Amino acid sequence: MERKKLQKSDLSRWLDRIAQEHELIGPSEDDGVIRFQPVESSAEIAVEFANSLIPPKSLFFPAVESLFSFHKRGKDIELEATEPLDRDRVVFGIRNCDVQSLSLLDYVFGQDLEDVYYQERRARTALIALACPTPPRSSCFCTTFGIDPLSSDGSDVLLTDVGDVYLVDVVTEKGEGLVSLAEDLFPGLTDDEARQLQPRPVEMKKVDISQLREKVEALWEDEYWHKMSLPCLGCGICTYVCPTCHCFDIVDVGSTLEGERYRCWDSCMYSDFALMASGENPRPTKRERIRNRYFHKFSTFPSRYGSGYACVGCARCLIHCPGGMEITEVIKDILAKESISE
Amino acid sequence: MSDNIYLPWIATITEVRPETADTSTFVVTFDDPQLRESFTYLPGQFAELSNFGVGECPIGIASSPTWAGSLEFCVRAVGTVTNAIHDLDVGDKLGVRGPLGNSWPIEEIEGKDLLFIGGGIGLPPLRSLIHYVLDNRERYGAVEIIYGARSPQDLVYKQELKQWEEQPDVDLYVTVDAGDGTWDGPVGFVPPFLREINPTPENKVAFTCGPPIMIKLVVEALEEMGYADANIVTTLEMKMKCGVGKCGRCNIGDRYVCRDGPVFSFDQLRRIPGALEA
Repeated sequence: MERKKLQKSDLSRWLDRIAQEHELIGPSEDDGVIRFQPVESSAEIAVEFANSLIPPKSLFFPAVESLFSFHKRGKDIELEATEPLDRDRVVFGIRNCDVQSLSLLDYVFGQDLEDVYYQERRARTALIALACPTPPRSSCFCTTFGIDPLSSDGSDVLLTDVGDVYLVDVVTEKGEGLVSLAEDLFPGLTDDEARQLQPRPVEMKKVDISQLREKVEALWEDEYWHKMSLPCLGCGICTYVCPTCHCFDIVDVGSTLEGERYRCWDSCMYSDFALMASGENPRPTKRERIRNRYFHKFSTFPSRYGSGYACVGCARCLIHCPGGMEITEVIKDILAKESISE
Repeated sequence: MSDNIYLPWIATITEVRPETADTSTFVVTFDDPQLRESFTYLPGQFAELSNFGVGECPIGIASSPTWAGSLEFCVRAVGTVTNAIHDLDVGDKLGVRGPLGNSWPIEEIEGKDLLFIGGGIGLPPLRSLIHYVLDNRERYGAVEIIYGARSPQDLVYKQELKQWEEQPDVDLYVTVDAGDGTWDGPVGFVPPFLREINPTPENKVAFTCGPPIMIKLVVEALEEMGYADANIVTTLEMKMKCGVGKCGRCNIGDRYVCRDGPVFSFDQLRRIPGALEA
């Protein structure tokens, strides 16, 4: 991996150069809310921000997307698959927690019957990550889940703010391609600079979660899930803002003559999520639904995919929960519980 | 399955056979002649059926892969999509996405005697395996079928029941919860009927599908008769959308019923927290 530098004042020149070649997506502020969205020029991009409201998973697995359209001609029916992208894209400003969430979603959509919509978006999108500010948001806890907010793992280029310049780690060939669009803006580092220009370490409260899976699995029958579900409104915001949640619904829109089949985000917190036409519901109350969600994050996802936990410590769910439920508190509660076998 | 896992194949309904007041068999043939030749599946797999503009729902394939050319689905009109499928007629189109899921363990059960226990509309998923076994008769041992429904009118595949009744290499036992003037057979629920017949567990695998309460009591009875959990196999029903293990809906523990099932043995289910709660 090659390390270069970029003067902060040159960032906009580089991004505008990228925007001439690709669709440029970046954090952009509307009424105080940061969203990742396509921009015409670097002027629309916010550089000073904590993180977006909606995670950038939406760029790969959109909240609503058309899968195909159908048209009836007489008795015949024609289907036309929807193209997920018109051109290659570059996402600027993604945080490492969200990059790591994509690595988790890759297990779901990228293997064992690949999802072509997600896969095409992943293949045709380059990620320019922006290392987290120091200090980070007080609610952030990515390090608890083993994520280094300064790591370039999973991105194509990583920018780290070290004062007047960004350190630029060029990670992949895709990243080299982006840097080569404005090669003159990216001088190498002198030996002195390489020594002096170091990222400031990020301080974050960290919890030891090595026992989390085993502890949560021992709590399947526990009364805890009932009590802790009481403040939940079942609104689903925790799942909507979660960068690793991947539940979706499939819905036809239109008539039986013509229309489109959509895939849209759904939530395991909704009472009808698993309700069958027969009236049977395997998760009839908030107790079973909340338990299912935490089991998914801490037990069944890692068990199914041989991966880490399905949480990246972005803190969106605890910031936005109207019931004040905090996943960090749930983790502490789980870890504090004596296992049933003890 | 298409390379795009969400894109159904188009098929034409060639026959609709009413089974009961609310249940019909739909026989479908793929429009693409090449696909008609190349489409293969295993007994126990299912497909997502589309009535475009209304939606999709998962239905077990009720035909046997030993039959060329068409697929059969036994559909009960109970929800939005299944009711819309019932509005269709011969010549109308359906979307078929599949085959999906695992299958009955057709290789592991070679040489074994087989016991099928079905309730109501639980017979169709078993029927795919029953015909597969009968069409590969030399590979399998004795076949016993125990079937029950609420009333004589609620029995599906009445023609085949007659056929199996007369077939010397099939032992068929049929009961109804409540008889009527036309019924002179046994009356009573499936689990006690099973206990009465008391089929021996030696060298035998039992397959069961039906309403959850029936399955629960059937399994209790089988265990008391000495069947090991590994030799009791069922196919599960769950709310499904994607059918390919991605939409997060149909899990029991870390298994997705659509992808890792729908067929599970009871020793598998006993190891999954919550699997046998419902």
